[in-house]
Amino acid sequence: MVARCSGDSWEDASGVAAQAIAIRERAAQLARADAEAWEKALTALRGAVTGEGDTARRSFDLEQKLERAAAVPLEIGELGADAAALAALAGELGDAAYRADAAAAAALAAGGARAVAHLVEVNLGVRKGDERLARARASEQAATDAAERVLESIR
Amino acid sequence: MNQLSTLTDAELVQRCRAGDSDAWGELVERYSRYVYAICVRGFRLSEEDADDVFQDVFTRAFMRLETLRDDSALRPWIAQLTRRRCLDAISGGGREQPIDETSTEVGTAGMEEIDEAFAVREAIATLSDACQEILDRFFAQDQSYRTISDELDIPAGTIASRIARCLRKLRDELEGRNDASEGSRD
Repeated sequence: MVARCSGDSWEDASGVAAQAIAIRERAAQLARADAEAWEKALTALRGAVTGEGDTARRSFDLEQKLERAAAVPLEIGELGADAAALAALAGELGDAAYRADAAAAAALAAGGARAVAHLVEVNLGVRKGDERLARARASEQAATDAAERVLESIR
Repeated sequence: MNQLSTLTDAELVQRCRAGDSDAWGELVERYSRYVYAICVRGFRLSEEDADDVFQDVFTRAFMRLETLRDDSALRPWIAQLTRRRCLDAISGGGREQPIDETSTEVGTAGMEEIDEAFAVREAIATLSDACQEILDRFFAQDQSYRTISDELDIPAGTIASRIARCLRKLRDELEGRNDASEGSRD
């Protein structure tokens, strides 16, 4: 929205708006993929608890499903970092009248990336030093830094 | 990018007429996706039928290239050949059938979209390799800024603005084409 409203004063505004649309569409796809992956992981977990069928196969299946359930949130976290970076860019170069909107968008995106990092740590039971947790934390940090930059500019 | 890929359609047609087999290969390469898109997205042909149409279109194009009146009108000519062969495939005949208005409308429903996609693709091909790469990674491969940054060794904080600049160049290229085609109609 900030980029779309800044078309007269910012020659790259439409290029930023196009990226925002791509990120929004990707987020919707990832949200659906996340729900699906989580549902499959839960089913596999239930199967592991009830103990039906071959144990080794069940264990392998569960591992695969949990891996997938972890992979999608990580992508969502990176997308949150991208959204925050784009919002920060719009806040910096777009029409100043919409800077507060850009800051709000960046803060929301950073919140999303933070939530992902938290869920990766808690729900997936990963430990400190796990590469996936490091990735989630890196996305959280990048998103937070971007949001801080644009929030600082309106204080 | 090879030398032939920079030729205009008219130049390519002239080389094909002169018997340059590499030019013919470039023509097929340039239009293979286009023909296939018309078959599959425009006419919803099965993969098998689309393959048959694909073969036939380029065979006919090769045989009839001499009949193309305006060398720069290669794309609409190939589109017309493809549409006719798709209609033949739908009607189940191997021979060309008279074109029925209704089926033409059905088949051309997606033509504008296909033409637009190919115009964008052609315009992208005129951009620098760096722009093509970064646009492809972000929009086609759905890569995050971080992944693009890591793989291309570009600072992450500059990715969004680089993409925006490349999109501006792409828009300028497309607007230039539209202006030229509107001017040529006057």
